[in-house]
Amino acid sequence: MEMAILFGSFSLLLLMGVPVAFCLGLSSLATVLWMGIPPVVVFQQMSTGMNAFAMLAIPFFIYSGDLMIRGGIADRLIQFAASLVGHLRGGLGQVNVLTCTLFGGISGSAVADASAVGGIMIPQMVKRGYAPDYAVNVTANAAIIALLIPPSHNMIIYSLAAGGTISIADLFSAGVIPGLMLCLALMLTAWIVAVRRGYPADVFPGFAAVLRFFIAALPGILLIGIIFGGVRSGIFTATESSCIAVIYALLVTVFVYRELNLRGFIEATLGAVRTTAMVLLVIGAASSFGWLMAFLQVPSATIDLMKSVSDDPFVILLLINMLLLVLGTFMDMAPMIIICTPIFLPLIKAIGMDPVHFGVVLILNAGIGLNTPPVGSVQFVACAIGNVSISESMRTIWPFYGASFAVLLLVTYVPAFSLWLPALFK
Amino acid sequence: MHSLAKVVSQFAARLSLASLLLAGAGLVAMTVIVAWTVFGRYVLNATPTWGEPVSLFLMLWFILLGGAVGVREMDHMGFDIALFYAKGRTKSALVLINDALVALFGLAMVVYGWQLAAKVWGDRLPMIGISKGWDYVPLIAGGALIALFSLEKLLLLLTGQSRVPMPFVVGGHLGEDRTAQKTTGGAA
Repeated sequence: MEMAILFGSFSLLLLMGVPVAFCLGLSSLATVLWMGIPPVVVFQQMSTGMNAFAMLAIPFFIYSGDLMIRGGIADRLIQFAASLVGHLRGGLGQVNVLTCTLFGGISGSAVADASAVGGIMIPQMVKRGYAPDYAVNVTANAAIIALLIPPSHNMIIYSLAAGGTISIADLFSAGVIPGLMLCLALMLTAWIVAVRRGYPADVFPGFAAVLRFFIAALPGILLIGIIFGGVRSGIFTATESSCIAVIYALLVTVFVYRELNLRGFIEATLGAVRTTAMVLLVIGAASSFGWLMAFLQVPSATIDLMKSVSDDPFVILLLINMLLLVLGTFMDMAPMIIICTPIFLPLIKAIGMDPVHFGVVLILNAGIGLNTPPVGSVQFVACAIGNVSISESMRTIWPFYGASFAVLLLVTYVPAFSLWLPALFK
Repeated sequence: MHSLAKVVSQFAARLSLASLLLAGAGLVAMTVIVAWTVFGRYVLNATPTWGEPVSLFLMLWFILLGGAVGVREMDHMGFDIALFYAKGRTKSALVLINDALVALFGLAMVVYGWQLAAKVWGDRLPMIGISKGWDYVPLIAGGALIALFSLEKLLLLLTGQSRVPMPFVVGGHLGEDRTAQKTTGGAA
């Protein structure tokens, strides 16, 4: 009964349109009141849940990404990518995917990726004769790569949701190969669709030009190395590296590129408050919800339920993936990670899956969900930029979904794609 | 009632702007403190021990002030399909109930945050030496702001002005259209 109240009230409030943070808090409150536990526990847990040093990395990474966008890094990455892959068929589509991958190494946010890269690329593609739906679909799907390429603040959210027991350095390394796989799969898809639609290719500008654009983009690309290298080698914690990223982004955009002014700085700061305070509040409210789930032994109930369906890890993984994809269509990334992690983590441990591997699967799943209506924030951003309706985008998005699903299945069933790199660093 | 809504709304707009700016200042301060901690460890060879607790304390304020501003400006993540498709009275009723529920939770944050603070007010926080009760003050302040901003929305709805007037810093872009901000940044 307690479980029914917890999940029932949560679902009802969510459907009514109450913001997720308050759905979590209110349903926890309702459940403790029903059980006769002093309600103060909910707020005690909430306060504890907002007291983890690792959480600080989330605003810092968003902040540094936003500073880089305003400070001119996106344009330089696009120029570099264009010189490198613009001569392939459907050149601007390829440039788009590659830029999203590079930029993902700086921002780690799919929405930021879609808006920063799409904002420049989609209008250019349309001007050069690419259909708007193609431009939008390439952008929206490529933006998901940012979630896998480090730094990914969603991996930090996952680590926090797992009680801080999973190494962020391992998660960061685990995302690299799946991220590159998704990049390749989408470049291939963009190429096939471009050939079938007869899109043009640009002329290769020569290696001298590639080098020149590389040097211009280098300060941004170096940031990837600083963050990843710093966290991986243990010189910095994830939070410290994210803070260094902010300082570095400020130095580059103010002194090297000289494109960030005081106004841009203030806008980036307030923008980071607006986007990340909400996520952190959800994490806080979710810790009282998570505490109740553990108290009511929801995870072990899930294990029993799943085991009654099948004992085969292969089938269980397929079921988890299907469930996550369905959840992802109507949930935003952060709340989904925060709610699903404590439920599924014991289950996947019980079938012998590595939590680091599961983190990559979960994030890729939730990422695909950012591109599916009714709640698909990345798709909405890309459609808004390209002035394309969701249904128009849906009509031609299938090859790109196909590529993402193929990568998802490979990553799910071949643990080595996620676990080889972290093991290499040990 | 109409003029009451106006007064409350003006007050809330100022409070919201102040909270946003404070949270922003907090973010800058946290950046400086964490950077100083790293600098201290590697360059000065003396890690400032106050760095982590102070930045954690600032983060609590950052979350709760920013989260309260998000309530007023409807920046929070949610599943708003029902709200989108609902029409007329159903929609007003739904918005009314939602705002009331959020206000209720804000009030609960104040009441229980107060209890938590009172219980540990005599103890000291390690490293920074202030009362342990301060850990719960952001919860009380944030709860009060959340309740106030939701009640403001309720008042405006009941007096037939369902939109919250925007403060003059809009969407992180000083004076620009807030939809522009929605497409930059983003936490997902």
